[in-house]
Amino acid sequence: MTERTAVHDTFRIERHYPARPERVWKALSDKDAKARWFAGPSGEWDLLEHTFDFRVGGHERALGRFASGVESDFNGWIHDIVDGERIVTAYTMHIDGRQISVSLGTMEIGPAEGGTRLVYTEQAVFLDGQDNVDQRREGTEELLDALGRSLSED
Amino acid sequence: MGFVQHGGFTLERTYSASPARVFAAFSTKEGKSRWFNCFGELEEAEVELDFREGGRELNRLKPPGRPPHVMQGLYHHIVPNERFVLSFTLHIGERLISVSLMTVEVFQEGAGARLVVNEHGAFFEEGALAEREEGTAVGLDRLAGLLAEDDRS
Repeated sequence: MTERTAVHDTFRIERHYPARPERVWKALSDKDAKARWFAGPSGEWDLLEHTFDFRVGGHERALGRFASGVESDFNGWIHDIVDGERIVTAYTMHIDGRQISVSLGTMEIGPAEGGTRLVYTEQAVFLDGQDNVDQRREGTEELLDALGRSLSED
Repeated sequence: MGFVQHGGFTLERTYSASPARVFAAFSTKEGKSRWFNCFGELEEAEVELDFREGGRELNRLKPPGRPPHVMQGLYHHIVPNERFVLSFTLHIGERLISVSLMTVEVFQEGAGARLVVNEHGAFFEEGALAEREEGTAVGLDRLAGLLAEDDRS
């Protein structure tokens, strides 16, 4: 049996996208636009189920499976939306049915020279040593890079 | 972008009560209602606590002559008598004050219990984080008094 631990950590990521805030907001708030970037590594991960009820109190689920057979299960609940500016979501991550973390993610966007500035802050508790802040930050950086690519594909 | 302060705090307490009793003070409506109200007299109070993963909590407390304080929580993780994680919002009237994540851990310590409460979140008003830490500390001290009273009776 693993030792019970609850490790708290925080990270913050900033990105600048050469796209208007309205387009970035769509990538965060529209189910189909979000599915283009909110995913595991291309070719190594399949999305099995995606639901996204974008409203305060709404639920999002992204269940996927890696080529190795390992399943990842993201469940988020939206606590706050300021239209076009801010989304605060609490989310849990399960790997093969084991809960590895609970997080609070604050996504803020605003106009910046030549496009949009995005600031993402995550405050997390990692359970029983099954994940850590470095891995989570790295994974989130990859997602936000994928978000940027999804904007330039239009 | 509007004002957001990200931050948090950790508070620790030791109680002579057993971990199960301390845990019940958080996980049952009756237990939590005894120490959670920081206003004293209330004009209105509405409390719902569905303590299971995916379950919700509502604490709507209205002090006289002031707007209601409304805490709405969601339980994400529970290990009975040991720990739980919830996220919650606090509104005062229509104003959203904060969205935060709280982890509560209870450890056996001798014949009693050690409690560790960690809260981190996004606070949307200046001073709200410091006020939250202070208010939570006062609540945990109130709980200590209640547990000690139970021991005497």
